[in-house]
Amino acid sequence: MTDTTHWPFQSVLVANRGEIAVRILRSIKALGLRSAVVYHAADARAPAVALADEAIEIQGDTPVAAYLDGAQIIRAARTAGAGAIHPGYGFLSENAGFARAVAEAGLIFVGPTPEQIELMGDKVRARAFVEKAGFPVAPSAIEDDDPASFIERARQLPLPLLIKPAAGGGGKGMRVVRDPALLEEEILRARSEGQRYFGDGRLYVERYIENPRHIEVQILGDAHGNVVHLFERECSVQRRFQKIIEESPSPALSPALRAEICATAAGIARSAGYRNAGTVEFIYGEGGEFYFLETNTRLQVEHPVTEQITGIDLAQQQLRIAAGEPLPFSQDDIRTQGHAIEFRIYAEDAAAGFTPTTGPVLEWQPPRGEGIRMDSGIAKGQSVTAAFDPMLAKLIVTGDDRRQAMQRADAALQQLVLLGCKTNTGFLRRVLNDPAFARGDVHTGFLDAHPELAQEPACDAITTRKLLAAASWMTRPLRDAADAIPDLHAAIGSWRN
Amino acid sequence: MKHGMKLDEAEYDLGLSRSPEGYRLHLADGQFPFQLQAAEEGGYILRWQQEVEHLHAAVDGDTVHIHLRGETYCLQFEHALQRLAELNEASAADAIKASMPGSLISLNVAAGEPVKKGQTLLIMESMKMETTIVAPRDGVIAELHVGAGQTFDKDAVLVTLEAQPDA
Repeated sequence: MTDTTHWPFQSVLVANRGEIAVRILRSIKALGLRSAVVYHAADARAPAVALADEAIEIQGDTPVAAYLDGAQIIRAARTAGAGAIHPGYGFLSENAGFARAVAEAGLIFVGPTPEQIELMGDKVRARAFVEKAGFPVAPSAIEDDDPASFIERARQLPLPLLIKPAAGGGGKGMRVVRDPALLEEEILRARSEGQRYFGDGRLYVERYIENPRHIEVQILGDAHGNVVHLFERECSVQRRFQKIIEESPSPALSPALRAEICATAAGIARSAGYRNAGTVEFIYGEGGEFYFLETNTRLQVEHPVTEQITGIDLAQQQLRIAAGEPLPFSQDDIRTQGHAIEFRIYAEDAAAGFTPTTGPVLEWQPPRGEGIRMDSGIAKGQSVTAAFDPMLAKLIVTGDDRRQAMQRADAALQQLVLLGCKTNTGFLRRVLNDPAFARGDVHTGFLDAHPELAQEPACDAITTRKLLAAASWMTRPLRDAADAIPDLHAAIGSWRN
Repeated sequence: MKHGMKLDEAEYDLGLSRSPEGYRLHLADGQFPFQLQAAEEGGYILRWQQEVEHLHAAVDGDTVHIHLRGETYCLQFEHALQRLAELNEASAADAIKASMPGSLISLNVAAGEPVKKGQTLLIMESMKMETTIVAPRDGVIAELHVGAGQTFDKDAVLVTLEAQPDA
């Protein structure tokens, strides 16, 4: 076990909720440190609150606002006597202002420096930095470089083109141009969308990669200038630009390409003197070309995939790095074994356009078995509300190879029971059993190209009758009425159809 | 009027009675004997003719949630009397319901205010997208059921409208 007695903090506050709060609390405890967590009243019955040594309630106009209130969270850390704050993902995890405020309060932010967050958080700046450092970015024209010649420079690029808002994210305001005659018109439209969504109409145009894969590389950098990569994750199965299935290794990469893409990611992180766990994302084309997309300066939702095949606890590594420890391994020490796939369990109705669902958690039985890891933040008796992101849990399945991982995943998804709130587990199983997915033949537009996967299969007549029988038996007024009349009467037909 | 059970969009008239071994489901197309009992490992065992199925079920008010062979189903019980009452109810769309769960960003009207068809009543947010809810017809706001910043579930009543008093 790591000796933490000389660390600059002995207690860590988790400024997050749900499954990731539980996940980080486990690593804090495994290191023998004291743990604390903040929570909004809506999460009072969540597992993280029960797991932490101390739980401090925070308030806000909305539940989400409470988790975004940096000043209140710093006060909570002081109350708990915590010397460090782990932000998890989302919320304040990539907020340079918060990282700075934490440091100014004399506490340690478990993450990169505010300057690194600023550099990597600005897509255009990050892109320029990566290009200058000599790494591949998609051919592009950036409006800010010289607004007057922007359209002219965009015209020089090979078609098709993708127009993106400089301040963008989440796929909003992006437009694909295949016909050069439409370029100016689409630029105007993208500008007004960028203005509307982000209050910033600046754009850039880059070459659009058809049917791209999303491949990202996990990196770790310490405060002593050491940087390693922990290999790649493929996250091409997405809906509404959000990942739902992630795996490692990528089924698309040859050993040579894997080595190249991973070395590129480590090189980018090294150029930035990156400190913390981070992810370098790439767009990967059908011809094997790859371009830098962006860097995420936090622990990612899909980090368990990497943990499963490398045996390295990334949240513990983040805490070690924040304490000033050097990385305990070199690049050559990091080996992978087997294949891991993560499935995000969402409270949503895939057949209804992936709209979020809500309801009480009446029954919750996570699957168990060899190679099955469940990172979840829900408990029976809790309610799923519209207040938060609809991701409830993550199923991570590991096998000796992809085929075994897929077989285990199918059984695990079938075993997973969550009653009271509709989830996407049936949908995930349909994707898993799709022949193209089985071949690893996916791209970021895969789900859009296969809308039939979102549709629920019709229930056959016998299954319908079984469901009606079970539901009637479960319904008190129906069963009471049946029990009130002895079978003799029923048998002679006092009940008529 | 019989009891009913809704599964997705389909509605079934049904009844339940005892059979020598257990229970019998009565449907329009026949009677089907079955047995259901709690399983030691959790959930329930359903015996249906020669088949044995392990399922999970839970009740929330009139809703029964069932997990069977990896799929989850949601069935809605409708009491005979309640169905009768619904038949007699006026069908005017007086209650404006949320088509999906979300939170309220802004309220653009006040109780007692007359509104025109198409007028913006409120702006809600769901799935990180804003949606504008407009009046389905002319009327007067009878009641506002949610406040700004509040979250609500699917089918929650947001606003009720009443008829405009004759001028």
